[in-house]
Amino acid sequence: MRKLLKTNFIIEKSSKKNVLTFLFVALFVFGLAIFMENKDVGNLVIQKTSEYQNLTSALSRFQEMDASQDGDSSDIYQNLNQQQRLVTLQRAAANLDRPEMFVNSAIELSNLRKVAFDLEGYEDVAVYLPTYTENQLESIFYENLRTLGIPIFKDNLTFYQFLIFLFGILGSIWFIFLAFYSCGLMIDDFRHTSIIKGYPIPFEQYVAAKGISTLSIILLVIVELVICSLPLIYFRGLGDSSYPVAVFDGDFEIYTITQYIGVCLLYMVCIAIFVILLSIILNMLLKNMYLTLFVQLFLFTLPMLLPKLISLFPFNPYNYMNFTSLLNGESLDLSNPVVLNSTHGLISILLSIVILVVVIRLFLSTGRLRRV
Amino acid sequence: MWAYFKFELSQFITNKKNIAIYAILLFLACFYAMKIAPSYEPIEKVDAKEIEARYLSREAFLSTFYNDPNRFVGMAGFGLAIYPEWNNLDKARLDALKDHDFVKYSEATSEWYVYANNITYGNERFFYSPGYYSHGNLYASEDGYYGYLYTASRYKGYAEGDYKLSLNVFEERTALQTLQRLLHSDLPMILMICCIFLTVDVVLKDRLNPTILRGFPISDWKKLIIKGIVSLIGSIGVILPLSVGLIIIGIRYGFGDFQLPVPIYTTLSKPSYFNKGEFVNTAMGNYLVDNVIFIVFCFMYLILLVLLVSMIIKNEFANLLAGAIFIFNESFFFQRGIGFFYEVENYPTNYVQVGQIVSGYRNYIYNSNALNFNHGLMIVGMSTSVLLVFIFIISKYKRYKLI
Repeated sequence: MRKLLKTNFIIEKSSKKNVLTFLFVALFVFGLAIFMENKDVGNLVIQKTSEYQNLTSALSRFQEMDASQDGDSSDIYQNLNQQQRLVTLQRAAANLDRPEMFVNSAIELSNLRKVAFDLEGYEDVAVYLPTYTENQLESIFYENLRTLGIPIFKDNLTFYQFLIFLFGILGSIWFIFLAFYSCGLMIDDFRHTSIIKGYPIPFEQYVAAKGISTLSIILLVIVELVICSLPLIYFRGLGDSSYPVAVFDGDFEIYTITQYIGVCLLYMVCIAIFVILLSIILNMLLKNMYLTLFVQLFLFTLPMLLPKLISLFPFNPYNYMNFTSLLNGESLDLSNPVVLNSTHGLISILLSIVILVVVIRLFLSTGRLRRV
Repeated sequence: MWAYFKFELSQFITNKKNIAIYAILLFLACFYAMKIAPSYEPIEKVDAKEIEARYLSREAFLSTFYNDPNRFVGMAGFGLAIYPEWNNLDKARLDALKDHDFVKYSEATSEWYVYANNITYGNERFFYSPGYYSHGNLYASEDGYYGYLYTASRYKGYAEGDYKLSLNVFEERTALQTLQRLLHSDLPMILMICCIFLTVDVVLKDRLNPTILRGFPISDWKKLIIKGIVSLIGSIGVILPLSVGLIIIGIRYGFGDFQLPVPIYTTLSKPSYFNKGEFVNTAMGNYLVDNVIFIVFCFMYLILLVLLVSMIIKNEFANLLAGAIFIFNESFFFQRGIGFFYEVENYPTNYVQVGQIVSGYRNYIYNSNALNFNHGLMIVGMSTSVLLVFIFIISKYKRYKLI
């Protein structure tokens, strides 16, 4: 087994695919940093300006009336007017660098929005406002900021803040990346079946060695992601690793950045093992790397194409592959809302891994290998 | 050479991966036609209720204030100045809808949009249709400007044309109009991704059976050209599965007409009132032909790129990466309005959004005036010929032998 692993690593080392992958990942991280710099992602003034615009167009759907407390306008109209006032206040606070005022009005704003959900006529203006889940996450985030007394970060390109953003994007593309990376797994071996058959070890061990060497490359990719973000420490500073991140985890909760990244890493590794095993099985069955790729991507997109499937089969591991939207509680805002819990997700993926391992042990053997 | 062509073509058609691509496209086309197309909600709907609500409240305002002695206090005078004409147009639209007189409705609607845009753009008291102000859209009023004048130009075309009008035509639901909308959004990218996937192994598959293929008495250069032609034919063939979806939409909502107007944003004539370009209608048939020509050029570029990369690096992932860079490059540096400062029209990667190039929308959001069909063909065509020359030179070197 050890010798085999050694051979595998020598093969991986000289593989053009790996070199290209590392190049691509580095380009991706640098490109993302440039993109963020260009778009000014996380600029509070821009965010609040767009929120202000939304509220203005929501208000334009009403006749202009007296919006004071004892005026004769409807409750939702008064509520929206107060929201607009607070957003303006926040924009001023962001401009004048008054973090305390910003956070206080943010909390007031989310409380107002909480009230607005039950008011009559809310559905007409719902498109202009954040969803219930988004509002909850925002509310809990700012409450936590206030209790901790940390000022709100404005530079989203400091190391830790960038990692949050990076892992957020990875959530939606990590599976796709893995599907591309691992779709050719073992295909080369089928072209030289006589060599595999000649190895003096059982087939399971051969598969295990192959999986482990691929997994270690993927772990290296994860390390590379962090290494490529390191230059940001020099350019923009380290940031704060205990800065809070609001997540949905069966319940609305606060993670620190370290915790958040930890959960993401756990998911990334589990998904990697899952995809590697599934790719091996599909390659054995279909004997064509592109077919494997298409099947993987199809399974991944199916819950997005038909959201009803999520509530029908909440334990389908593919519901949990996009861990960012999972942690953002996006499943709560679907037309058939489901509570997807990140722990359940891990359990579901791990169970599927066990099933895949059992399938490989029971049904696949060297005897079934045939030349492609 | 003909025999080699037939040999390559038969290999291309029987390739499992290529069959899978066509099957996926067929599935996506049917899925789109069945699920997504019916739930399309245009921003500029034909909605008599909405017109009526606006008309009635303004009419009430006019009748109260018309003889009021305080009518010049505050903004009331402004309202008295602009609402009468606006309301006349709204009234004409309402009446035409009630009588099912679609030509009259088109005329009134076209004028309505021009009038409404002149007052709304840059004005803090009036808003475009709420659909433009989605969450996080900083350029809503710019989008509104484009949307309003686009719609105005479209309705002007309907009023002048001699084809059958219907509500589906007005809301751009017919098959050809759906195709036009898709070309304006994601379809070109999907087609190009398919093209890359179809071409990705066209050279490298030969390395599996070198002894047989080395026997063909034909030079590498000619082989590459034939492989390119086969991939081009295959890439154009993706139209077949997609047309199934179009036929389904056509049966449900009507096929539309090749004479339907498609507004093109042009900046060649003198600038308009707001220092922007204007819309000129072209026929749907012309628009589609332009798109097809452009997409074929992009296909040729992509195919040659993939051929070149597979000669030099000899790895399928490198091919995918090179193609992906061409397709997604623009999104990394895209910002609205930078066309004013940089010469965005000189980069072939900026012509990926084919439908938006042909309709002039890219010019609008880049704030440029050079990103047009002709210039695009020139740039992409020149890049293609440069790639062709590279391939020719490299194919003469022993080191980069195909097999």
